[in-house]
Amino acid sequence: MERLAARWLWFVEHWPRAAVFAPFVPLLLSWWAVAEIEIFPPAFFPHPLEVLRRGVELAYKGVLGAYLEDSVLRLAVGAAAGIAVGLPLGLLVGLSDRAHRTLWPLLLFFQAIGDIAWLPILLVWFGFGLTTMTFVIVYTVMFPVLMNTALGVRAVPEVLPRAALSLGASRARVILEVVVPGALPNIVTGIRNGLGFGWRALVAAEIIVGTSGIGFMMFDARRAGSVTEVVIGLVVLGVLWSIVDSWILAPLERATGERWGLVAR
Amino acid sequence: MKELLVERLSKIYFDPDRGERIAALEEVSLRIAPGEFVAVVGPSGCGKSTLLNLIAGFLEPTSGRILLDGRPVRGPGPDRGVVFQSYALFPWKTVLENVAFGPRMRGLPKAECHAKAMRYLELVGLAHVAHRYPRELSGGMQQRVGVVRALANEPEILLMDEPFAAVDAQTRMTLQEELARIYEERRPTILFVTHDVNEAVFLADRVLLLSKGRLREEIPVPIARPRRWPRLVEDDDFKALVARTLSAVRAA
Amino acid sequence: MTASAEPVRAHRRARTGAIVQAALPFVLLLLLWQGLVAGLQVSPLVFPSLSAVVRAAGQGLRDGSLFLHLGASLARVAIGTAIALLLAVPLGMAMGVSRAVAAFFTPLLRFFSVLAGIAWIPIATLWFGYGFGAIVFVIFNAVFFVVAYNTLLGVATIPVELRRAAASLGARRWSMVREVLLPGALPNIVTGIRTGLGFAWRALIAAEMIATSTGLGYMLFLARDFYRTEVIVLGMVLVGCTWLALDRLLLAPLERRTIERWGVVRGA
Repeated sequence: MERLAARWLWFVEHWPRAAVFAPFVPLLLSWWAVAEIEIFPPAFFPHPLEVLRRGVELAYKGVLGAYLEDSVLRLAVGAAAGIAVGLPLGLLVGLSDRAHRTLWPLLLFFQAIGDIAWLPILLVWFGFGLTTMTFVIVYTVMFPVLMNTALGVRAVPEVLPRAALSLGASRARVILEVVVPGALPNIVTGIRNGLGFGWRALVAAEIIVGTSGIGFMMFDARRAGSVTEVVIGLVVLGVLWSIVDSWILAPLERATGERWGLVAR
Repeated sequence: MKELLVERLSKIYFDPDRGERIAALEEVSLRIAPGEFVAVVGPSGCGKSTLLNLIAGFLEPTSGRILLDGRPVRGPGPDRGVVFQSYALFPWKTVLENVAFGPRMRGLPKAECHAKAMRYLELVGLAHVAHRYPRELSGGMQQRVGVVRALANEPEILLMDEPFAAVDAQTRMTLQEELARIYEERRPTILFVTHDVNEAVFLADRVLLLSKGRLREEIPVPIARPRRWPRLVEDDDFKALVARTLSAVRAA
Repeated sequence: MTASAEPVRAHRRARTGAIVQAALPFVLLLLLWQGLVAGLQVSPLVFPSLSAVVRAAGQGLRDGSLFLHLGASLARVAIGTAIALLLAVPLGMAMGVSRAVAAFFTPLLRFFSVLAGIAWIPIATLWFGYGFGAIVFVIFNAVFFVVAYNTLLGVATIPVELRRAAASLGARRWSMVREVLLPGALPNIVTGIRTGLGFAWRALIAAEMIATSTGLGYMLFLARDFYRTEVIVLGMVLVGCTWLALDRLLLAPLERRTIERWGVVRGA
């Protein structure tokens, strides 16, 4: 046991990339074993081979690709809009004491209402469709971006804008060259959180009001009682989001924070 | 280089928790001649940083005037270069970009700004770290960058707020000598705030003693330049002046 | 007036001022709402007037349906969260104690914590049917993986010097857990709870919309069928206020206090 642990640690240190995937092997094997001996009926607990076969089939037919494209596109458009609205507003709220005092409690409240609670009234206003879904994602992404940006702006040490001003920078240049870069680690954190909540909101919206997308596929399959496609959806979502989060967002967050040495402080 | 005139400057705070008025600075007047090196000493909380922040334009005075070359001071500006205790280097800019920041804000072409910044970095022997980021440098090196960043912008007066308080004792002496050398070569006008009496006497032509928001005493320092530590630690005039200033600080 | 009364009074004045300042935006918002709906003659099918929402709240309070829905939602969150915490904290600690075990479980927990919450609704309703079981499972799932992952992270990043110090002072396995590992990981655990509950609360509202016949989510979604916008808005306000109360009055102070109290352990 001890030697096994030592070998595994050696592996983790020398092949860190592979070591991330290695733990999934026993997980998949136990899934296989549990499905093989049919502890649970196959209608509730699909066999991994069946999931793979059906997944390949759906991908081959183009259904999976089309649904995935729908979901990713909705998220990308909604997130871009959410960032475009949230970032400038966050700068405003962070820079102006008066705006911060009056708007912060309102922001907290509207963030607390949360994306999904908006669905019913959005359905009344816009019906089932793209507008409703886009609104939900924009709303979800906007708040974390806005609030983290404001926090970041307020966390920039007072001496930095002072230094820039006494070196002759105009207000606009101070914002551009000092406030935004100073707040950037927080802005990235806000984008990461916003996207994390955003894709969940997207899945919920697709489940509840959707006509396409991965969430719709899962719920449609659930209505038909087809557990295989539900699991395919779960796996696709998990893999997709893990890639986005651990290969793009988390490194970006670390890079901005560490390189500028703002995290240590 | 222009003359700095401070007339009956006061800064009164209102403490809402205690409901009292607190005078950080009361009726302070002073004049700094072009090319003069003036140090302000006093215990912490005596108002010396408030004085510097008022002159820098970071704070608004409650009453009184600050005139630079006859013009009243309004807000921070490039005519008054500031060196901060915490260095205040922009962590996302390289050393070179930090030093080139001031010239760039005046709209000079980028190549010219960088060449100028390089010349100033050579002045303190830091040309070799021009492309590093501030956090990769030691505290002493960071503050050297802070000093030349202010100098490279060619301000009319240099305001230094306990600039060497955060570095170790050995480095502090080196930095003090370096500043003395730069001053002796270029004669900028400097207002230097510190709580270290040795430092004030070593660097300045004149030491002002501030206590409880008021100017208490003015001590001229008629010690010949160039000033270097190995000579001054043996110098009886220097020791006598330090002793006199120290007892004045304690009495105040 | 005595000399000491003045500062106290000033202090009290400052605090009242802060409360007024926080409430003012809301008062303005309510006035704006009432003014716009009345002034533009907005149809109640599109957006309700303030008075209609207040009437709906009164009605809900009188017939007790408000308490029923709110209670159902809170009970599901409480049960799901409690089960998740009881399992996640010990498991996370156990995984974090050995470096080899931690390195094995980190990617797994990370994967599932990234997936936690809403995406499990379809399979949860398949496994447990529509109703209590499915919803509690989704909440459990949202909290469990995030908390376990954060606990593991917390234990794994306790400085080695601290463990060595405790060991050389004679701490055995159990006292090591109680005196060093648990307090050391506590800030991470609490942060995990806050994040996990954030996911869980949203998942709850979503799940209640499709998988049950009580709860705030159901109340919202049912009102939509009848175009009762005043009930929808009432539900949204309730969802917001409940989460705000939970987060601001319970979780945020808890997080702040543990970080203030135990954060020193990190050597930060």
